[in-house]
Amino acid sequence: MDLGNIPLFKAMMSRMSWLTERQQVLGQNVANADTPNFKAQDLKPQSFKEMLAGTTSHLQLAATQPNHLPGVNAAAAFDAVADKSAETSPSGNSVSIEDQMLKVSSTANEYQMTTSLYRRQIGMLKTVLGRTA
Amino acid sequence: MDLDKVIKVAAAGLSAQSARLQVISQNLANAQSTGTTPGGEPYRRKIVTFKSVLDQATGVQMVKTGPIASAGGDFERHYDPVHPAADKDGYVMTPNVNPLVELMDMREAQQSYQANLSVIDAAKSMLSHTLDLLHG
Repeated sequence: MDLGNIPLFKAMMSRMSWLTERQQVLGQNVANADTPNFKAQDLKPQSFKEMLAGTTSHLQLAATQPNHLPGVNAAAAFDAVADKSAETSPSGNSVSIEDQMLKVSSTANEYQMTTSLYRRQIGMLKTVLGRTA
Repeated sequence: MDLDKVIKVAAAGLSAQSARLQVISQNLANAQSTGTTPGGEPYRRKIVTFKSVLDQATGVQMVKTGPIASAGGDFERHYDPVHPAADKDGYVMTPNVNPLVELMDMREAQQSYQANLSVIDAAKSMLSHTLDLLHG
């Protein structure tokens, strides 16, 4: 059974990879917090509508069979946009550490929420299978 | 693994900030280092430079330290005719290190270092929550 065929699991998987990638972009910002001319970035927020349609990530090769390979487009699956929330310092750097820290912790929290939901759903599936979760 | 990349970027940030701290401590340690020959130049303040570099293997913008530059600016002059580095008028040049500026810089480096550590913590907690999925 491929859990990815269940829409809810698919949505949660895409949420988890979005959060992971966002954490990567934020980590990049923090590491470059003192680099001159570095512009802070953030990921474009996921929208429910796009999530339902399954079009949150970049265009991918159409797979008409489950055993088709997805192709190597994994480097950046989501769109990164310039983060304009903080002012630019005289050195041309636009990273605000406070801002980034808030985002890092909220991303980690949302990730935890998604994994908890995931576990609940697995538990429900197990109940259906007649085992206690 | 994507969370691996987060930890790698943050680690690059950590090493950049510690290189910066090393240069700052060098400046502070040499804040009184004068020349040894008459009219000789004292220690000149060093500045670390940062640049962001695209890491080919992971595709993320790492941070690297560039060449360590010497700061411009004039040396202060003090009258001390018996000093070995005194010039013919009896003045000794002292380093262009301002301890207050260095301490401010040190604070900033410390703050950035902590921020990078927090990113590593967050990535680690995400990773452990993923692994917890195995426990059902």
